[in-house]
Amino acid sequence: MKIRTRLTIWYAAILIISLIIIGIGTYEQIIEQMELRHLSHLWENALSETSESVVWVGVPAVLLGLLGGWWITRRALGPVTALTEAVERTNDANLHERLPRTGNGDELDRLTEVFNDMTSRLDSSFQRIREFTLHASHELKTPLTVMRGELETALREGDFPAVQRDMLLSQLDEIERLAKIVDGLTLLAKADSGQIKLKFEPVRLEELVRESVADAKILAQPQAIQVNCSECRDVIISGDRHRLRQLLLNLTDNAIKYNQPRGTVNISLSRQNGFAELKIENTGAGLAPEMQPRVFERFFRGDSSHSSLIEGCGLGLSIARWIVLAHHGSIQFVSEPGKLTIVTVKVPVGAVN
Amino acid sequence: MRVLVVEDEKKTASFIRKALQAEGFAVDVCHRGDEALTAAATSSFDGIVLDIMLPERDGLSVLRQLRDRQNRTPVLLLSARGAVNERVEGLNAGADDYLPKPFVIAELVARVRALGRRGSESKSTMLRVADLTLDTVAHRAERGGKHFDLTAREFRLLEFLMRSAGRICGRMSIIEKVWDYDFDPGTNLVDVYVKRLREKIDEGFEPKLLHTVRGVGYVLKE
Repeated sequence: MKIRTRLTIWYAAILIISLIIIGIGTYEQIIEQMELRHLSHLWENALSETSESVVWVGVPAVLLGLLGGWWITRRALGPVTALTEAVERTNDANLHERLPRTGNGDELDRLTEVFNDMTSRLDSSFQRIREFTLHASHELKTPLTVMRGELETALREGDFPAVQRDMLLSQLDEIERLAKIVDGLTLLAKADSGQIKLKFEPVRLEELVRESVADAKILAQPQAIQVNCSECRDVIISGDRHRLRQLLLNLTDNAIKYNQPRGTVNISLSRQNGFAELKIENTGAGLAPEMQPRVFERFFRGDSSHSSLIEGCGLGLSIARWIVLAHHGSIQFVSEPGKLTIVTVKVPVGAVN
Repeated sequence: MRVLVVEDEKKTASFIRKALQAEGFAVDVCHRGDEALTAAATSSFDGIVLDIMLPERDGLSVLRQLRDRQNRTPVLLLSARGAVNERVEGLNAGADDYLPKPFVIAELVARVRALGRRGSESKSTMLRVADLTLDTVAHRAERGGKHFDLTAREFRLLEFLMRSAGRICGRMSIIEKVWDYDFDPGTNLVDVYVKRLREKIDEGFEPKLLHTVRGVGYVLKE
């Protein structure tokens, strides 16, 4: 129950109790007066007079009081409601915004001030983390390029025994992997700090889906995984072609990587109430329900021994999520372990902004 | 061949210089855009390796200035991945080639060498490497009189490899030029496609044409 309703009810109860006390008091006064004047045979008269005054004066007074009380609580608590709504709107993306203050120095104004201080502290530590990631990934790039190049040159020019050659080649693979992670981190760090501008244009999503189905079929061949496209409706959305292709490849590749040999991947694109709905289903081992909400977190890895064998930078789904959100859409991961894992992406149709 | 390398990251620059010198190029290095313009105005180069991301005057502006001054030295742009627009701008501004960062050094060297051959390399529609031929107009690929069925993607891959015949092609530049992906797909897409292509063009033929350079990429050569 809202504080406002509760206060109004208490207020009404107090008013009614006081009315009853006044009524009883008045009644007893009248009786006493009558007894003094030996008019006690008229007590019925006294009762009706009391109730009359209670009904004609008391009840309107109580109603007026109730109305007044409701109005006062409403006025007093209005800023609380406004504050609540403003706080509700606060998230990690708009931490830099400050809630408007009344400036009258009352308790609520003070609360707003404290809240603003808190978000500004949070904002600056978020900012520091973002900058750190951005700088760190940038700083890592050059040494990686140099290491990679020098190893390459050494391998090409040097004459190594087979065992050492293999060691160097495996180092080259690891450097490549590290470079991929750094790349993914840079992308996400840039996205976080709003440095990536998407180029929105009308995109025929079905064409991109068909293209990625064709790639997926070929990627899936080595493990004899079957890739189907059960539905592919024509849908035009406003989006960034490159990023959408990245999203599609990312999701289909995951569906293949985390599948089992001779499994199935199904891709469908349909239209539902103004949204393009893309579904990618796979018959892999899936993920336990308690892990599913964490699947879009950076570097999240399921606990199964299977997943640690899979090559990947651990940022694929975080990147996918960023791309979907940048297209004002939503992404959902639902898995029934051992049966079916479904990733659903919804993006609004049309409307260029 | 004398080459100017414009790269602000000192370590990267010196490492590019070492690699080019090892291949017999004379190399000048500068770290800033205005220095590059001065160097290009005072001496003549056979090629310029130009990083887009430079402090103050960036690579694109250097390139425009060069072309405005009627300097036609071939330019290879180094661009960060994810910067498609910059790259398109760069090609429009008169760059001859581009290479996404991080690059495979062997590929950079090969591209720099190819810069010198620009112009002579025509946009021919009949490509030939040994007995393998590709007709980009009729969309036909043949080897030793045998015709192959190629998907559109395989065709583009083969065309790219044949146009860069003899040069190492890194995975990233294959992804960029054949798939037009501006990101690291994080998959073995290229390897899987190359394997399929190899089954078609090399199986049952001698000599093998499509070679793997482990840890680096692929090369098509006799």
